[in-house]
Amino acid sequence: MSHEAAGTMASKPVYAPLPETILPASRRLLVVQNATLQAAADLHERLQSAGQPLTMLSLQGDAGQGCNDPQMLETKLRDLLSWSPVGTRLYVCGDESFLWQVSALARNAGLLGEEIELIKTGERREMYCVHCSTRQSIGAEGETVCTGCGVHLLVRDHFSQRLGAYMGVCIDPDHPHGEDKA
Amino acid sequence: MNPLLDVEVKTIRQLTPLVREFTFAAVDGKLPRFSAGSHVQVHLPVPGRALRNAYSLLGDPSEPSSYRIAVRLQDDSRGGSRFLHEQVKEGDRLQLSPPANLFAPSSQARHHVLVAGGIGITPFLAYIAELERRGASFELHYACRGGLTDAYRAELAERLGERFHAYDAAAGRRLDLGEALAERPLGSHVYVCGPQALIDDVRETAARLGWADKRVHWEAFAAAEPGSPFVAELASSGKRIEVPGDTSLLEALEQAGVEVPNLCRGGVCGQCTTPFLKGEVEHRDSYLSEEERTTALMPCVSRGRCGSTLTLDL
Repeated sequence: MSHEAAGTMASKPVYAPLPETILPASRRLLVVQNATLQAAADLHERLQSAGQPLTMLSLQGDAGQGCNDPQMLETKLRDLLSWSPVGTRLYVCGDESFLWQVSALARNAGLLGEEIELIKTGERREMYCVHCSTRQSIGAEGETVCTGCGVHLLVRDHFSQRLGAYMGVCIDPDHPHGEDKA
Repeated sequence: MNPLLDVEVKTIRQLTPLVREFTFAAVDGKLPRFSAGSHVQVHLPVPGRALRNAYSLLGDPSEPSSYRIAVRLQDDSRGGSRFLHEQVKEGDRLQLSPPANLFAPSSQARHHVLVAGGIGITPFLAYIAELERRGASFELHYACRGGLTDAYRAELAERLGERFHAYDAAAGRRLDLGEALAERPLGSHVYVCGPQALIDDVRETAARLGWADKRVHWEAFAAAEPGSPFVAELASSGKRIEVPGDTSLLEALEQAGVEVPNLCRGGVCGQCTTPFLKGEVEHRDSYLSEEERTTALMPCVSRGRCGSTLTLDL
């Protein structure tokens, strides 16, 4: 995974813009959130030039394999992985929420973290409220209000790879409840 | 240190002209349980020497009432395998160190590809018993030489059916790893035990096909190779220990009463890593990094340069 390749053990993942070296593989899968983005096109070109069979799936913006529906993308990817051999490498390109959803699915299917490269585009990311377990999509902001319990949250750099989300914790000990309950 | 196990040699079977199987039972009490992939060190009372060789336990881990090992007679033997083949008789008593495991099957794997070369079949006999009990998916590839290093081949063929693939070099059949490792299902792990060339070949082929390192497991079972005599000096006491060519530094230290923690006695586990202060080292392990080698060595396989003095930080 790119953040491990960078040699950091910190909680907050660090993403490489493009894989620095294309590792050996028998087969490559590329899953992109939006095929019209330049990063996705660059990655596709890099991987195609590596020579091994390459399959691309995209959520949006690709005439051929576009899924337009996260459910359909999941189904297609699960099906692809079910008959993929060891030696398959997966490249995922998209925002942080997308990266970790796809990564979790792939690891469930039997891929290892080392066989998955994450290429981040955009700023959307997942946050997990540690008080009520609500997940929500946020941007780069460091504070937010939980859509579940209404508590004013600090978005920590504490990232859970299992949940694919940053931990949100109550920012003000004097206001431990949401506004409507205060 | 764990106390040694006193065992009696219950049965000896000559499996091929080169391979002998020994069954050990506890002299009194019970033998400790072991997990698939474990080995024991057999203490060999070779006259004038204190030799210990590591051998994989090949019995079913669920039936630890006895231990079984198989020993290949080595051409360049320092005496251990020759002693076991020529001196040890049924009814003899030997001492074993308790089982240790440096080669356990992965709990994450969804399919296990086992690759054995010659006597490297031994850990997989315990694996097979364990994997069959778990109902796990596996296949065994056995590269051997018919009539010499093909121990257990007939019984494995019968027991495993289509999951068993033998490659008899005497019949001109070669194991093609590119084929054996291609198109394996996504959750597969590969395990190899055998000569260094086979281990290298599996690791290189797997890497070329894109297998992550974590899916590739190996065990080198070769014991220390002989070398040239040298002198080891202990920095703390100034004591000088002569290390003859057919004795490893670890064995020489043990004979001199210096106990160094150790497990594999084959240069792979890193347990016996010992710092040195002065001298030239012939590193023969496959564990330490180049940087670590400037200040430490693994005395189970590595030695001081011929005729030189090596000062250990002991």
